[in-house]
Amino acid sequence: MANHSLWARLRPFRRPLLFNKVALRIQSHPRIHSVNSRWTRYKSFRQHRFLGDFTWYSWIFLTWVPVVVFFNANVMELAFINGPSMYPFMNAEKDQTTAPDVTVAWKWNAQHNLARGMIVLFWNPRKPEITVVKRVVGLEGDIITTRPPYPALVIRVPPGHIWVEGDGGERDSIDSNVYGPIATALVIGTIPFVLKPLHRAGWVRWWEHPVNGRVRHRS
Amino acid sequence: MGFTSRYYGHPFRVLFSIGKSVAFAHLIWNYGVAWGSGSGASMMPTFPVLGKSVIIDRRCRRGRNVQVGDCVVYNIPIEPGEEGIKRVLGMPGDYVLMNSPDCKNRNHMIQVPEGHCYIMGDNLPWSRDSRDFGPLPLALIKGKVVATSYLNGWNPLKWWSKFDNGLKPVDTTSE
Repeated sequence: MANHSLWARLRPFRRPLLFNKVALRIQSHPRIHSVNSRWTRYKSFRQHRFLGDFTWYSWIFLTWVPVVVFFNANVMELAFINGPSMYPFMNAEKDQTTAPDVTVAWKWNAQHNLARGMIVLFWNPRKPEITVVKRVVGLEGDIITTRPPYPALVIRVPPGHIWVEGDGGERDSIDSNVYGPIATALVIGTIPFVLKPLHRAGWVRWWEHPVNGRVRHRS
Repeated sequence: MGFTSRYYGHPFRVLFSIGKSVAFAHLIWNYGVAWGSGSGASMMPTFPVLGKSVIIDRRCRRGRNVQVGDCVVYNIPIEPGEEGIKRVLGMPGDYVLMNSPDCKNRNHMIQVPEGHCYIMGDNLPWSRDSRDFGPLPLALIKGKVVATSYLNGWNPLKWWSKFDNGLKPVDTTSE
């Protein structure tokens, strides 16, 4: 090996003029062993017992980070449910344990094909860094009979918006009855699957959810 | 050479590398800096109808570090999937006049609710903004305009210009 010291291995390589011819001459030189290109010197650096492997596997790890970020942001992510707003469907054991339910949030094309009864994950319109899980009650154009905190008795959901409510009712849930209909663009995912606790694990059969009698008119 | 032989004859290495490169570009585009070309007359004195494109700072997504007077890129709440550029008139807690100065109800005033902002286009008669759909949730803001590019001439260095917050203090001396 030509480079004996670590300093020599880290030295920036400057390709001299007439590199190929000089390299050919040097290869036939009796005392100089070889002249390495940048890639070959990197390969020899990789054969270092610790540094070579460490830099290589760190690099491989770093290149996978954007892939994981893309997957979590656009395809699928785990959602941990805190609070009683979806009781009794989620956090049914809220009075026995503090452990949150673990669910799967599906994010690919989540804003399309929304339906009444689906459970959606969206940005809290009042706290822009916090996500919330609620059930879709009304789609755009529906006429909804509201619950008490809302100032009007009846509302038509405006275009591009949906009406979301928690299963917990007006005592436990801060939902559209507090902050009004939310823009569909705030939705970042649907909840198709529950992972934990295991005895309730399975697909969310949202189409079997009883039709909310407070939807007066469906668009 | 080593670099080509690492990929030549290794289709999965090629596919994985392309996928990782796309994901890296996505990371930069959505969480770092993005480029976009707008069209429309709603920001007329600031942006012409066509031709001027914007550099967007994605670190200001969801209203982070956004101040009154900034131009923001946002998801139009009444048209899912569409994006627009408007100027921020009020941040949470501010009192704003709801309507245009030439409107009948021009003195109507609201307090911008928690987590929302009030946006308007610079071209008031030709802008669809918070006057129509109300205060905008900060979570719908996708970024802030930090620079503009206008492709005139052949020198790429002259295409870019910094975009500042145009807010000025009110001149109270002259009356």
